[in-house]
Amino acid sequence: MSGSPSKLSFPRKVVACYLLFCMVTVCWLALGVCLVSHRVLSSHSANACLSRLGKTAAAIEMSHLRHGQQELQQLTEQAQTEGGLAYASIVGPDGIYLAHTEASLRGMPMLQPLGSLLRWGSVSGVRFVDQQGRTLREYQVPLSVNSEPIGSLQIAVVEPTVGATLASVARYVPIAILTPLALVALGAVVIGRLARTVAEVDEQLRRVALLPPGKEVSLRPLTARNGASLGWNRVVESLNERRNHPGHESLNERLSEAIAARRQNDQTDILQNLSDGVAVTDMEGRITFANRAIEALLGATATDDALEGAAISERLIQEMPELAQCSLFDPECGNRSVVSEGHRNGTNSDRVLRVSRQPLVGKRLKGQVWSLRDVTQQKLADKMRDQFIDTATHELRTPLSNIKAYAEMLATCDKIELEQQKEFCNTINSEVTRLARFVDDLLSISSMEVGSLSADRQNVETDRLFEEVLAKVQPTMQQKDIQFEVRLPEKMGQLKLDKEKIVAVLVNLLGNAAKYTPAGGHVSLKVKLEDDLLQIAVDDTGVGISPEELPMVFEKFFRSTDARVQAETGTGLGLSLAREVVRMHGGDISVESQLEKGSTFLVSIPLE
Amino acid sequence: MNDRARRILIVDDNVALARVIQFAMDGAGFDTVTASNGQIAFDLAKESPFDMVITDQQMPEMTGVELCRGLRDMPEYKDCPIILLTAKGLELELPCLQDEYEIDATFSKPFSPSALVKTVNELLAAAAA
Repeated sequence: MSGSPSKLSFPRKVVACYLLFCMVTVCWLALGVCLVSHRVLSSHSANACLSRLGKTAAAIEMSHLRHGQQELQQLTEQAQTEGGLAYASIVGPDGIYLAHTEASLRGMPMLQPLGSLLRWGSVSGVRFVDQQGRTLREYQVPLSVNSEPIGSLQIAVVEPTVGATLASVARYVPIAILTPLALVALGAVVIGRLARTVAEVDEQLRRVALLPPGKEVSLRPLTARNGASLGWNRVVESLNERRNHPGHESLNERLSEAIAARRQNDQTDILQNLSDGVAVTDMEGRITFANRAIEALLGATATDDALEGAAISERLIQEMPELAQCSLFDPECGNRSVVSEGHRNGTNSDRVLRVSRQPLVGKRLKGQVWSLRDVTQQKLADKMRDQFIDTATHELRTPLSNIKAYAEMLATCDKIELEQQKEFCNTINSEVTRLARFVDDLLSISSMEVGSLSADRQNVETDRLFEEVLAKVQPTMQQKDIQFEVRLPEKMGQLKLDKEKIVAVLVNLLGNAAKYTPAGGHVSLKVKLEDDLLQIAVDDTGVGISPEELPMVFEKFFRSTDARVQAETGTGLGLSLAREVVRMHGGDISVESQLEKGSTFLVSIPLE
Repeated sequence: MNDRARRILIVDDNVALARVIQFAMDGAGFDTVTASNGQIAFDLAKESPFDMVITDQQMPEMTGVELCRGLRDMPEYKDCPIILLTAKGLELELPCLQDEYEIDATFSKPFSPSALVKTVNELLAAAAA
């Protein structure tokens, strides 16, 4: 395995590679230097030889002019000595050596060595290997005096061998080798140091790679003070921090934790947008989470009045003092659900809030979840329902008791006159009608609930419609001696309406007007047809409706708490049905009223 | 007691019911007077004494229970039998009402007129005893 001691450590590997590459480079460079030096030396000796050739030729020509052939031998020997030549010779026009540094060859015919030919301008030469194995370059230049050829000058130099070149640079070897070696060694040390951080990280990561899956990873911080190790130490630190945090046991767990956190975000959004107030408290009853609705309910919308951290009991009791007495805040029953209701404090005292507390249980009891709901509407609905049941019971029992009493009298009493029998039967009949009407109302309201009540708009003779309405309400008006004023447009013609339902609405509105207007009062029905709008106003001088109750008159089952209204029978369904019918016609109904002065109901229906 | 017909005050805003009760009581030989609300009944009761009062509970002006309270405050009606008729779901509260206002009997609507006549006879007999 890579962790075994037989293997080189990472920095050593790096240094070894570095050294290997350095050596190859140095050798290559040394070889290059040798070759270049050799070339330079060869070229240098050739150049020296050529310049010597010119000078010597000039000197020989001069000497030949002055002294004839006397000093030729001396000149060749001088040229050999001064130029470090292998040999020098002068050949006469007849091809006989006039002078030669090799004394034995003087007077001998010229030797023609075999080799590669060389040429520089008028200078010709040959490169050849002599009997001693040396490579020689022999250059030859013609000699002339007063344009008379007197022969040629030949000089030869020994071409330096590689060995000679090496020998010539040998004295630079120590410095040439030691300096790069020292630099390479310095580089190795620096690289070794730099690689140490990477080596430690490498070693730790290798160890981690060898761990079986699911096993806890432990990493050491590094001691070196450089950017990489500081970064590594931060990583180790944050890893340890996460591990020390409960619930971060393994990578998988952390992953699921991250997914849970993502979901948590969604859930928090959902909680924040609930219409019910939701808060979570810890075991000490301090709020750890509060959604927007609860902040609004507890009046904590300002940022400096945040609910988080506050004691929920204080905030709730502050808002609903009645809660102080209940078991909501009893620490003994922290592990069971409690529901309580209370009126709000201050200006909102008519609002009822329901507080419910549930234990927040995970692996153990963590705290409590509180939810707060405004149940004012529900309470009102409950009250209205109770009121309706009360009214309905009365409305059912009254005709029933009359029917039963009259029927029993008819059945059991022998001494009833015929007229009286008829009267009794009529009473029974009218009570049955009353009962049937009430049942109809109930059915309509139930249809309204399920949305099956619909307007069947057909062409209706409007005059006939109002005649029908007046026929139904006029007896009541007369009975109570109410001054009933009716103002209808002269000619209305046909309108598209659901006749039966509109008649019921108008009878209901006029019936109410008559019912709640004291005897001798005034009721008016005014109808206008304007801009494709049928406008009907029912005005009375009755008991009126208080401003508090005015917005609720069209609510189902609503009945005023006014004793004068309570004294009259009613289901609390009429106006609610009326509004429904008018709306089904695409119109609307509204009311204006002043207590003790009277009420005006306005119906407007757009014409099709 | 003497033979004069017993006087019964019948109080109900439901005129039809008051009339049929009156018819039944008349048939049983009682002398009856009807009133359409508690206040009228109270005024009538003050004018001349009645041997029995049959009253509805839910009425405008003055309810049956309020009438009872008023009558019981008068010495002549301290022991007068009173029957309360109710159309509301007061059944559960009836025993309570009976105790508080010393109401002798209650009838929930709908009821049988002959049963009412029977009870009236029994109560009057008991009062006479």
